[in-house]
Amino acid sequence: MIAIRGLTKSVPIPNASIRERRFILRDVSFSVPSGCLYGLIGPGAAGKSVVLKMIAGLMKPDAGNVVVDGDDVTELSELKLQSVRLKLGMLFQNNALFDYLTVGDNIAFPLRRLYHLPEDEVQSRVLERLACVSLQGFEDRMPSGLSGGQKKRVGVARATVTKAPIVLYDEPAAGLDPVTSQKIFELLREEQRASGATVIMVSSDLDRLLTVTDRVGMMYRGELIFDGSTEEARASDEPRVRQFVHGLTEGPL
Amino acid sequence: MSEELTPTQEAPSSFFWGNVSALGATAIELVVGARELYSVFVRTLYYVVRGRREKGVLLRQMYEIGNKSVFFLTVTMGALGMILVYQAGLQAARVVPDYQMLGATYLQLLIRDLAASLGSLMLATRVGAGIAAEIGSMVVTEQVDALRMCAADPIDFLIVPRFLASMIMTTVLVIWAGFVAFLAGAATAYFAFDVMPQTFFNARMVTSADFATGFAKCIAYGAAIPIVSGYCGLSTFGGSEGVGWATTRAVVNTSLAIIILNFFISSASFVIFAG
Repeated sequence: MIAIRGLTKSVPIPNASIRERRFILRDVSFSVPSGCLYGLIGPGAAGKSVVLKMIAGLMKPDAGNVVVDGDDVTELSELKLQSVRLKLGMLFQNNALFDYLTVGDNIAFPLRRLYHLPEDEVQSRVLERLACVSLQGFEDRMPSGLSGGQKKRVGVARATVTKAPIVLYDEPAAGLDPVTSQKIFELLREEQRASGATVIMVSSDLDRLLTVTDRVGMMYRGELIFDGSTEEARASDEPRVRQFVHGLTEGPL
Repeated sequence: MSEELTPTQEAPSSFFWGNVSALGATAIELVVGARELYSVFVRTLYYVVRGRREKGVLLRQMYEIGNKSVFFLTVTMGALGMILVYQAGLQAARVVPDYQMLGATYLQLLIRDLAASLGSLMLATRVGAGIAAEIGSMVVTEQVDALRMCAADPIDFLIVPRFLASMIMTTVLVIWAGFVAFLAGAATAYFAFDVMPQTFFNARMVTSADFATGFAKCIAYGAAIPIVSGYCGLSTFGGSEGVGWATTRAVVNTSLAIIILNFFISSASFVIFAG
């Protein structure tokens, strides 16, 4: 269970007085029940990725808290956060593959750092993950030699290799063609059903995202303007939600 | 009678407060930066003792910092050695037209200060910029966040191997740089002032205090380069422009750190070895 209460974050405005700040999150609150696939949607620069990073403890809010399975990650030191991060897997927007490691070593990295597994088990898990994302035989390649879609799939394999009970996906299908994109969403949904993990997924690909989510939250200019089931999101009368979900050009956005 | 303010009359006031505000913001930034730099240094020392070493990383960093700097350092220190001895010879000719002590004073100066300070300033430009650019790129591509998600503290994983490698290789490179600068100086003294090598190779003025001071500088500069440039890399924000600024900041701040450390170590040395 993830509970977010009153998250607020502001940053200084360049070349402005020290008191002038721009809000990137303003009083954001929502909860994600265990085993739920939650979609976080909204236009660019709405603060969706910032929320994910705060759940992972990678950014500290100015106010508010994030409780992950009973631990308030906003209060924990970097050392104590490491135990919370054992429960988390994360796919980053830019994939964040380590460019000096091979594909296999990238996927094995969390296993080697977080768990003391025998090397043959690490290798078998890496091969199993690569098979899941249809990249068999890619373990010795370097990330620089992969296409955008392949990098994304390696990122998905790394995010899920520890079989963490909570997985955060930041734009899992950004920049992919529709077929690969659909495959990725189906794969993530299957993984979530099989593991029963709690998943929060940020994506702009609403057509596909809304086919797999249980609940949806929509952010706009740092505020959460909608939180409800996927059906409620589709039927919402809120003008901004309606415009965004249905992809209308006319409206307040 | 009250006079109505025109925009030109208002300008000095807003100009004044604008500058005060900018000055205040800069001062706060400096204090926050110094505190963060200190935090990076303390955490680096902590992880040197308690951290987890990946196989071969230290050797790879020693190769990157040490071996790849040999040519650059040889050329620059050789050239600087020639210039220093030539200029010193010209000055000496005006005051005491005697070159007997040229080699002895030059050797003492090299061991006590110049080899470490000039060599490290040269290293700061190559190694400091490289460290900041590499870590800065990892920050903007979220690789540092990915490390943190895998319980790999960036200080432990990225800075500590560079810290250890830099301390070892800076010392080795400074010894080499001093050797090159001395040889280049000896050649210049021979060709420009007819000073024979056996006269120039004179270690009479060199004491153990000079070696201790030079060694302390090697260790201090070797530690400062990766700490300062690593901190600049970790505090990168924005995209490729941010990496560019981080690299520039790393070169400027590392050079500044070397000069400040030089001041303190030299002062301490004069006090400790005064007798």
